[in-house]
Amino acid sequence: MTLLTLRGITKRYPGVTALDAVDLDIDPGTVHALVGENGAGKSTLLKIVAGAERPDAGVMTWKGQPIAAPTPREALLRGVTVIYQELMLAPNLSAAANIYLGTEPGHRGLLDASAMRHRAATALADLGLVIDPDQPVGELSVAQRQLVELARALVRDAQLVALDEPTATLTAHEVAHLVAQIEWLRAKGIAVVFVSHRLDEIRRLADSITVLRDGHRVWTGPAAGIDERTLIRTMVGRDVVFERCPPNRKADAEPVLSVRDVSRGRAMRNVSFDVKRGEILGLGGLVGAGRSEVARVLAGIDRPEAGSLSLRGQPYRPRSPADAIRAGVVYFPEDRKRQGLVLGMRIRENVTLPVLSRVSRGGLLQAGAERHLAQTAATRADVRPPDIERLAGTLSGGNQQKVVLAKWLLTDAEVLIFDEPTRGVDIGAKTEIHRQIRALADAGKAVIVISSELPELIALADRAVVMREGRVQGELAEPLTPEAVMALAFRSA
Amino acid sequence: MIAHTRSWITRYGVVAALIAMSVVATLVAPGFFSLANASTILLHVSINGILTLGMTFVIITAGIDLSVGSLLGLAGVLVAGALTAPGLIAVVGVGGAAVVATLIGLAVGAAVGIANGALTAYLSINPFIVTLAMMTVARGAARLVTGGVPIGFPPMGDPHFQDKVAALDALHAFGGGRIPIPGTAQGFPVPALVMLALVFLSALILDRTRFGRYVYAVGGNEEAARLSGVPVRGVKVGVYAIAGACAGLAGVLMVGQLRSGGPDAGLLYELNAIAAAVIGGASLMGGIGSAWGALTGALLIGVLNNALDLMGVQAFWQEIAKGAIILLAVLFDVWTKQRNGGTTQ
Repeated sequence: MTLLTLRGITKRYPGVTALDAVDLDIDPGTVHALVGENGAGKSTLLKIVAGAERPDAGVMTWKGQPIAAPTPREALLRGVTVIYQELMLAPNLSAAANIYLGTEPGHRGLLDASAMRHRAATALADLGLVIDPDQPVGELSVAQRQLVELARALVRDAQLVALDEPTATLTAHEVAHLVAQIEWLRAKGIAVVFVSHRLDEIRRLADSITVLRDGHRVWTGPAAGIDERTLIRTMVGRDVVFERCPPNRKADAEPVLSVRDVSRGRAMRNVSFDVKRGEILGLGGLVGAGRSEVARVLAGIDRPEAGSLSLRGQPYRPRSPADAIRAGVVYFPEDRKRQGLVLGMRIRENVTLPVLSRVSRGGLLQAGAERHLAQTAATRADVRPPDIERLAGTLSGGNQQKVVLAKWLLTDAEVLIFDEPTRGVDIGAKTEIHRQIRALADAGKAVIVISSELPELIALADRAVVMREGRVQGELAEPLTPEAVMALAFRSA
Repeated sequence: MIAHTRSWITRYGVVAALIAMSVVATLVAPGFFSLANASTILLHVSINGILTLGMTFVIITAGIDLSVGSLLGLAGVLVAGALTAPGLIAVVGVGGAAVVATLIGLAVGAAVGIANGALTAYLSINPFIVTLAMMTVARGAARLVTGGVPIGFPPMGDPHFQDKVAALDALHAFGGGRIPIPGTAQGFPVPALVMLALVFLSALILDRTRFGRYVYAVGGNEEAARLSGVPVRGVKVGVYAIAGACAGLAGVLMVGQLRSGGPDAGLLYELNAIAAAVIGGASLMGGIGSAWGALTGALLIGVLNNALDLMGVQAFWQEIAKGAIILLAVLFDVWTKQRNGGTTQ
């Protein structure tokens, strides 16, 4: 009998439908893979299975019985364990204490510590992890912590274990071990649902696959019945929202900024590319592929451990964001609330922050000159209404993003790096921000755009460099198609 | 044009509370409403007011400085020591000694403040811990150099008695002097004048200079400020240096006032300064606060203490009342923020 069925599951968040009438059937003793682009709805679906989110519409049944009011606790007692990317463990507590967190054995309020230790050690050993159950979880590696979470599922007699991108941060050796454990769970009759971006491992491990795209279930079937190319096409095939505009500009022959063999930890390894004046270079790839890390090095936030940068033919070694801004390289960060704006300050104060020296004399601010500069920038970036005395925190997402844009327009930088420039903004603001980015390239600036939204990347970029797991996988010029980018972003190891 | 307070009601709420408290004090406390008493309040407020100004700079950056009270003590004993050093008086004269001693006080304060700021900014140590350690170190140093007893007024028979007393008198003109006001018996206390000048200067720095804007930006969102090219570390060192220099200056004024420097001077003054800054509207979360708010907060505490004194209320009750006022100020702040729906964040 089917263990868990979902019928017509719909989940809406303000302004976006995360899941639209999704069906899913999970059988005991099988491995079911969920695939799709970033934002396709995979994580939301896992949260609904875990009881952490309530669907707005749809029915869930467990062994044929409808689930009336799903909550995390109810799902746990039923036998569902979800292992999120951010592991849910208390780092200062021992492995045993974590495994039994919330279900501690004991009498009259006293813990039965020896039983906990003994059974925890057994569960860990079943998963091939030989550690002292008294060891604090914070001292374990990510892979070991994952196994501790799996052990937690075992002691709770879980019948369904769901994992959200479990292999994203593991080494090849650790992946092999985890895959073996998942196969062992399947043999025990436990149902496993897992989300992954690694197509090779999906095809090796999964019995069936469900493809999600923009909150819709677009395909479900046996893993044996689909090849990698078809799978990629199924993931990205959709109406392209943004038209690809052929550039009516001509890029320089010589690059203005060159990146050569730049490495930093595991996040970016031997990255090389060039960008020229008058072009938009797209940096493609999945979340975590190392694109933002590249941007942070260019913007002087992080220092490269190896490799070299050159700007206008000269060595370029920014020691701070201030250095980079002076050199003419600015970074439009992906998280506007945390990195882009001082929300408690006015629009005027935000946009003039990098250029205060231009409106001050001997350290003293010239109020009139500052207002004029801020007003010009806000109008140019189309902030609505262009009231520069409003607090940045009171603006909509799209307007906040335009304020960040106004700030960087004022610096007259030569190289502009946009990291997810339209994340979480409405379609109107999105179109306007795209227009601005194109105008910058038309005006002879070198523009780098990082976007996890494929249609956006395709619409904006003249040329794309695609990264995966910290490495450049390839460079694409015309024709720039979603399939080509995805094939590089997902290329199996 | 105080741009960085939260809203109209919080901006003028403290001022309204100060006025209301003064009216009540006029009605119930004998002798409260007089020029003589106003001048007394200002004199008593000036040390805490100056510390509060420095503290406000630090708090706007989302920092804290627990070392200012001890630093006042350390600067004070060094000032008193320099002022009564016969060799120094012999070289630069009595007035010169007062000037040199003042500069020493400021320099010691600023130097320790720079150390606080550097440890916080460059080694990323929590400022609470850095300044807590510095508080202990400075107090220990003050007791060490004095042997635990106040230095300053010379004993009878001191070979340099005349010079030392003259030097102390010279500094007293700064720390305890009064500027005559025609038609009144008592003049305007010089330390209060110094405090008011510093309020104007601080307001100018915070509202009208690049450094001031950076101070608000660092406290409002340190990461965004750094990515915008703001020299965050330099700004942090700057605000702790200002807080330290204010503590040094307060030490100078106290030696001038008392004609001696005691190793235990300024004990727990940092807490009064934090209280006044918070009552004056500064947010410990950073990004919010003003020089005028600092003055208002310090005055509010000063008026409360003075009125309770005049009414003959026991000192212990005064402490309880002060604590209650701090809680009220913070509750009021939370309440107005909730009522405004927390729109600024």
